[in-house]
Formats: sequence, structure tokens, C-alpha cells
Amino acid sequence: MSIHHSAERGGSIRVFAEYDRDFHEEADVVVVGSGPCGAVSAYELARAGHRVILLEEGPPLTVADFEVDASRSMARTMREGGLRTTGGSVLSTMQAICLGGGSVVNSAICPRPPDFVFERWSSRFDLEKTTRANLDPHFDAVQDFLGIGPTPEDVQGPRNLLFRDGCEKLGYSSEPMPRNVRGCRGSGECFTGCRSHAKQSMDITYIPEAIDLGARVFTSVQVQRLRSNGSRVLGVEGEVVEPFSGRRSHRFRVDARFVVLAAGCMATPVLLQHSDGLANSSGQVGRNLQFHPGVAVAGIFPEPTQPQFGATQGYQSVHFLQEGFKLETLWAPPPVLAVRTPGSGRELQARFSEMARIAVWDAIVTADRSLGTVKARWRSLDPALRWNLDPVDVQTMAKALFTLSEIFFAAGAEKIMTGVRGLADEMHSLEEAEPLRSRTFPPSAMATGGNHVFCTTRMHGDARHGVVDEFGRCHDLDNLYIADTGIFPQCTSVNPMFTGMALARRQAHQVAERL
Amino acid sequence: MVAGEAFRRLSPPAALQSRYHGSMWGWILLAIFFAWAVRRLFFGYSEPEGNMRVLAPREVAFLDAAADAMFPAGSEIPLSGREANLPGYVDGWLVLLPGRQRLLIRALILLVEQATLFFPAPGPSFRRFSSLDPGSREACLRAWSSSRLGVRRLVFTALRAVLTMGYLGHPEVLRHVGLAPYAIATPVLPADLMYPRAGCHPSTNPLTPADLTRPSDGTPLALDGPLHPDYAGEGS
Repeated sequence: MSIHHSAERGGSIRVFAEYDRDFHEEADVVVVGSGPCGAVSAYELARAGHRVILLEEGPPLTVADFEVDASRSMARTMREGGLRTTGGSVLSTMQAICLGGGSVVNSAICPRPPDFVFERWSSRFDLEKTTRANLDPHFDAVQDFLGIGPTPEDVQGPRNLLFRDGCEKLGYSSEPMPRNVRGCRGSGECFTGCRSHAKQSMDITYIPEAIDLGARVFTSVQVQRLRSNGSRVLGVEGEVVEPFSGRRSHRFRVDARFVVLAAGCMATPVLLQHSDGLANSSGQVGRNLQFHPGVAVAGIFPEPTQPQFGATQGYQSVHFLQEGFKLETLWAPPPVLAVRTPGSGRELQARFSEMARIAVWDAIVTADRSLGTVKARWRSLDPALRWNLDPVDVQTMAKALFTLSEIFFAAGAEKIMTGVRGLADEMHSLEEAEPLRSRTFPPSAMATGGNHVFCTTRMHGDARHGVVDEFGRCHDLDNLYIADTGIFPQCTSVNPMFTGMALARRQAHQVAERL
Repeated sequence: MVAGEAFRRLSPPAALQSRYHGSMWGWILLAIFFAWAVRRLFFGYSEPEGNMRVLAPREVAFLDAAADAMFPAGSEIPLSGREANLPGYVDGWLVLLPGRQRLLIRALILLVEQATLFFPAPGPSFRRFSSLDPGSREACLRAWSSSRLGVRRLVFTALRAVLTMGYLGHPEVLRHVGLAPYAIATPVLPADLMYPRAGCHPSTNPLTPADLTRPSDGTPLALDGPLHPDYAGEGS
């Protein structure tokens, strides 16, 4: 990467302090959203020699802007201050607002979905060209670019390796987590931004490279509406917004031959709804909302686990993927992890005192029966989310929790906390966790969160049942593409960022050919 | 005589008079209720120490009381919730939150402070949460946490989350539980030359190509290494 090349090729980045008037720009392609999918789109299109504008509502964050304190960090890097929840079944979920999007604050997890996921997609949604074999060249290219590889042993730390040990004792397969990281030092701070610059987030990888290739990046600009004319979109318009305060200043408009929406699964449908219900002849915009709801177990070990050291999520098990759940190790800032610690008063403080001996492991669940909607709020771009946890998926969660409990006790945990209502706050043996296998729980018994979000502008071979085709092109509008996890027809069963990037790369190549 | 006749004609009939008196009593009762509600909601709170940018005195009083009940003194952790200055922490956090979320957090505070009207503290006591004695506050929180009403449990979880974020975010508490973050030397990458600090003009970015360093080589952090300066404490 060379700063000099970017200037020669017209690449640039503008930040809030540089806007002093309304402005109007033109490009071959405008990409809305600089998260993993948008960044890949912008890079690939710039690489193909096209005039690209990438728009991002948040600011670029330097390491000096990262807050180690959890709530301050969330208030600055997440939409709605990190306090977004669904209606219906209550589930907390987050969406980043900064250059690089979720890649700045996620755990950098990059597994490829197994064949059965794509087979399911193909057969149920008329998607002939979306097979694992079709996508593997794109997975390979992204993997090489971001240095995706297994987490090295020397930065795992005890809380990750205990998971491996527990799985080994029970005969469950497990492996080091594949991550887009180079030079991880095991700070466990992925959630608040990597101070080691080891995480290969979009703001230090794809986006600077895209700028180097001539892309123009505008940060602190909020796209509020798509402009269209019959079967074509003409561009986008919106306002400049101040970082963190959201105060609006100047208006802007970008005209482009193609528009790529990569605003995220919860924002893209809202943008379409605010644009006179664009691209919705199928009636599917904002419907089919799916999550990978996550449940977690905290275990206390007899010896210190030094939990503040180690890769944030260094180990995983896909042993039970076909049964509907994936197991992972987990770390986050202590106040975030402790939010679900049961009790109050001295009992709660006593539990906090044990945190130096803690490990937390989670399961993400393939909850494709649990559906919801995304709707635009009145005069706001924040989405109104409604989602209902299906009883069958609740039982899968309970089974996942039991499996995690098994692994904890096999690894030598003294006690565990599942957070399930109706069970003891603390369990000291696997027998106490047995009701997780034998009892039926209501959805409200589970404490869930989910940051993998899908399907709100799903792809489908038949225009009557989907918003986009399998290349992300809107069925209704010839030059409008969607490149975020909203186009997944169903959840991926594994962490979705890598799949989204592979699909975005394939799509960018199609757009480049059509330009 | 003429004047008396005229007066009788002008006076409302008896039924109307009775309705008039009834509604007058209604208005008086409403005014008394209103005065009582205003007093309960807004008065009787002392001015907090330190300047708050968002929180009102009544909210500071509640947070102090709730912090005391949630994280009392004399536990295994040498800092109580009150000593951790949770109102100051919450105030700083609310400044950063968008308006809608700020409103929701303040509504949460108002709800638990006043809900002793509907869910009296043991005694039973209908006093505001912040006016209860420490034992009643703790019992009150336990009642919220173990309620059969899912919404009440959810409110408790939200309140505990707000307080926990501040308490476990306190450097002294984090050091005590052994989870304070480490100091980390950040490499300077080409991308760092492109971005100023959030909200600042690019001309304020002091980095030049001469500042570029090698990227992280993956050396694991030393467990006995120095702590992050904000969490190191005196003498570290």
C-alpha cells in the first residue's frame, strides 16, 4: 500500500471536519456501508479500474479512540449505544457504526460454512450457482488477503485450552478458531478494538487498499434515501452527521450507475422502506429476520485461568453443527460478561471475586424456525425489530447448554452458571444440569444475545419469493445490488462474516463486468 | 323582592349545584394528588456532590442507594458501590448515549425508585427506594430479581447491568479481581497515517511515514507485564 499511489489515482478519504458545505458527487458505483461486505465490494470494484465511492455513517477510529471501558466503548462504536434489543422474544443485538463496521469490534472469526448449508440453500431457494465449490475461489482470495488462519497455540491462554481439553476427554472434535488476524498477542480485547492492530479489520486492510486503488471514501455521511427512476436507481442522498453526537450538518447527493447496499441486515431494509418501498415487489423486504441466538455458560475452575490473557475466541467445536449448534470459547470486557452473573449484594460480589478463575464458553444456534421482521421507525433510521424464538429452537439451546456443561465438568470446573431461569444459579455437578436435557423450557427462560443477523433481503431464484438473485442483484431494479448478510436465504450455522465477504467478492466481479 | 326573584332565576338548580360541589371536591382531590405526586417525584432530594451533566439529584440519590444495595461495603471486594461513584459513571455514560436510549435508562431509574408504591418494600414501606433503609433496599432488589413477573425480572437485570458496568469498570475493582487490562504498545501502520482521531481534522494527525513501525509479531503478552495506564493505580 502506498499513500502516493492513492493520490495519483484519485483515492481519498474525507472525515467530518472537512465538510463545509452541501456536496454532490458522481461515480460508477456507490457502495453504502464500509463493513466487511462493503469494503470487499469497494476494493474489488476499484481494483477493476472503476470510479468507486464508499460511504460510511461512522468515523474512522484510531487506536487512540478505542475505549477499554466497555460501556463507553459500546456507546461510541455501536448504534443505539449498544442497547439494541428485539421486541417479541427479547434478544440483545448490536451493529457497529465506524469505518470498517463490525470488523473493528468483532472477534474476527472466519469459518467456511460446510457443504450442507449451501445444499440447503440451493435446494430450497433455487440457487444453482451458490455452492461451496462455486464460492471456494472467493473464500480463498479473501483468506489470502486477510491472512485467515488458525489461532496459534501460544496466544490461546488457559480459558481457551481448557475447552480443548474438555472436548478431547469427551471425544468431541474441536479446533483452533480460524480468524483474520496477523500477530495476535492474546489481549482478548477484540470487542473494544484491537490495540495491537493485529486484527485485520476492514479499516486497516481492504479500505486503505481500495483508497490506494483510487476509491474515494466519505465517512460521517448518513445515507437516508435511494433516488430512483422506474426500474433503475440513480444514486443516494443523505446528510453529514457528526461522530458520536449524530448532529446533522450538510446535505449530500451521490449519483452513480450502480448502487451497492451494504448497510447491514438491519439497516438495508430500513433504507429501502424509507425510499418509497423500493425493491419490494416480492413483499420480502424486512421479513424472514433470523439470528444465531447465542447462549453461554460460565465455569469456575479451581486454579486461576488468567482470563484477561488469550485470544478473545480462540477455540471452537463444529461437532454438533448438524444438530443445530456450534460451540466456541468467549471473552469480552469483564463488565459485559458479568452482566448475567446471578444474584445481588454480597453474593454477587463474591461471584465477581471468582472471575480470575473463570472461563466462558458459548453456543450459537441454527435457529431457522425463529423468524422476525425489520421495520422503519417513524423519522428514524434505527430499525424496529421483532423476533420470536421458536420452542423447537429453545430445546436446541438447552441441549447446547447441556453439552457446554458436560465440557466444563470434563475440563475440571468446580461449578457452572447457565443463566437459565428455573435452574439453580450455580451447579456443582453434571447431574444438576440434567434438566437441560430432560425438561422443556419456555423461550423466556433463556438469556440470549445474537450479533449474527440474516435474511431480511433474502436471495431467491424466483423473484416472487426473494428480494435479490444469487448475485445480490435486486429482482426489481437492474442496477441495485445488496451485499450484506441480509441476502442470505437462511442462516449459515457458522459465523457469517467470511461468507458475506465471499459473496460480496463474487458479486463485485459481476458488477465490474456489467460496467 | 325583584332582586330576590332575579337571584333565584340566576342561581343554578339544586341538582346542578350538587354536581358543582361534587366536581369541586374532585378538583381539590386531584390537586392534592398532583401536589403529592410532584413532591414524591421531585422534592426531598439533596444536591449531589460533583457536577452532573445529565442526572438530576433524584436520579443521583437513587443510583447511590441502588449501588449501596447491589454492591454493599464489607464484601470480599474492598470497594463498595457507593465508593465506586456509580452516579458519576452513569452520568458520563448517558452523555454518550443517543437521546432515545438515554431516555430509556432514565425511565428505568424512575421506575425502580417509585415502584415501591406498587411493590412495597418489606415492612411494608411505600417510601421511595432511595429513602429506604439499607436492609429494605437489598430486600427490595431481591424481590425484583426473583419476581414471578418476567417484566420485573427484566427491569432488575437491566438495572444490575447498568450498575455492574460501572462497578466492574472501576480500575480498583478490576485490579482487585485480577482483570485489569494490560499496557500494549501499538504499532503504527500505513492506515494510521490516513485517519485523524474521530471528529478531528486530518491536519491534526501527527503521524508521518517516518513513524511507521513493524506490525505486531505475535509475541504473547507477558502476564506480569505493566497494566494499562488508566488501570495501573498508584505505585504500579
